[in-house]
Amino acid sequence: MKELSELKFADDVRYAEDHEWAKLEGDTVTVGISDYAQDQLGDIVFVELPQVGDSFAKGDEFGTVESVKAVSELYMPVGGEIVAINEALEDSPESVNNAPYTDGWMIKVNPSNPADYDSLMDREAYLEKLKGQEE
Amino acid sequence: MSTPAQRAVRQSSGCPAPGGRACFYADLPLTDYRRALELQRRLVAARNTGVLDRDVVLMLEHPAVFTLGRRGGRRNLTVSPALLAARRIAVVHVERGGDITYHGPGQLVGYPILSLRSPRLAVTDYVSALEEVMIRTAADFGVHARRDARNRGIWVGNAKLGSIGIAIRRGISFHGFAFNVNLALEPFSWINPCGLQGIGVTSLAKERRRPVTMADARRAAKKHVTEILGLLPAATDLETLEALSARHSAAGSFSMAPDCPRTTDHAPRA
Repeated sequence: MKELSELKFADDVRYAEDHEWAKLEGDTVTVGISDYAQDQLGDIVFVELPQVGDSFAKGDEFGTVESVKAVSELYMPVGGEIVAINEALEDSPESVNNAPYTDGWMIKVNPSNPADYDSLMDREAYLEKLKGQEE
Repeated sequence: MSTPAQRAVRQSSGCPAPGGRACFYADLPLTDYRRALELQRRLVAARNTGVLDRDVVLMLEHPAVFTLGRRGGRRNLTVSPALLAARRIAVVHVERGGDITYHGPGQLVGYPILSLRSPRLAVTDYVSALEEVMIRTAADFGVHARRDARNRGIWVGNAKLGSIGIAIRRGISFHGFAFNVNLALEPFSWINPCGLQGIGVTSLAKERRRPVTMADARRAAKKHVTEILGLLPAATDLETLEALSARHSAAGSFSMAPDCPRTTDHAPRA
């Protein structure tokens, strides 16, 4: 497990309590997991994603990641309809480890409530939260 | 000397209180798989809402059952459903990681319902810690088991002595490890354990070439699981835990995060 100073935290995304990130681009929100989360999980061997057209509320489980004998649930940082999933993760789930904010993206959401996004943490607040956990 | 797992646990614990974090510890008798599964799910929910303020360790044995992990397929079950039905062995699909496995009397199963957040424990370190629990328990009986970085769990030669499969829901880990103490190994020959072909399965009694009582194995495992995870155990039983978690589920907030408003129409997530 790396030190916080060794991890990357993109500053053009927002962060959720359960370590997902969300990036607002036009009308859609792209979602993945943070560098911190992938480092905690270890080598990811499988990513289970929902189907395009599925709808979830903020905080609902939308999928799972499987690493070393462990299945971890993933939660919606914003509510809405799934408009795209990253199908490349089926063959290369390791992208979540190698490039969590870019190639490792998981879903794109058409958000049902813009306030969901506004309620997420910015980089600074997320780092504060992580530092708090270390003490 | 400390092991990587132990160092990892210690480092990530920051400054643990003397004696460790308080936990409930339940040494349970032979317990139906589905009953234990339901209890685990309720305890996770209770832990998430704060109704339950500490970790719980369940140590038990199951009547014969096959379980399939999240991605597990029946393709790794190599006998007919008719044979399983004749022997009254169920196949249960569950949310843990890993593929197919077998549980039966004589196998010690440990389910820590453990927050990975408060000690800031990485999933990889936690899996190593569970392996360490089994390695040290085996060592107490003179059996030298080892890890395999590619195939997690613990091994004696080419044979599996203990398996791991966990699930993590909002920072709370459940499911756990299964350690073969003195069980009949035949049912393992009906599957490709963990989805692997060409491996053997062994038990503590077989490796030791002498019987091992479950009481002795439980005693050794309790020492190591509490030591390695930094837990201070308080004994409890199945009824107490079921009552505690039932109180919680009656509140109707089974799988909700602590910061979510409570609703009464939220269906449990199976």
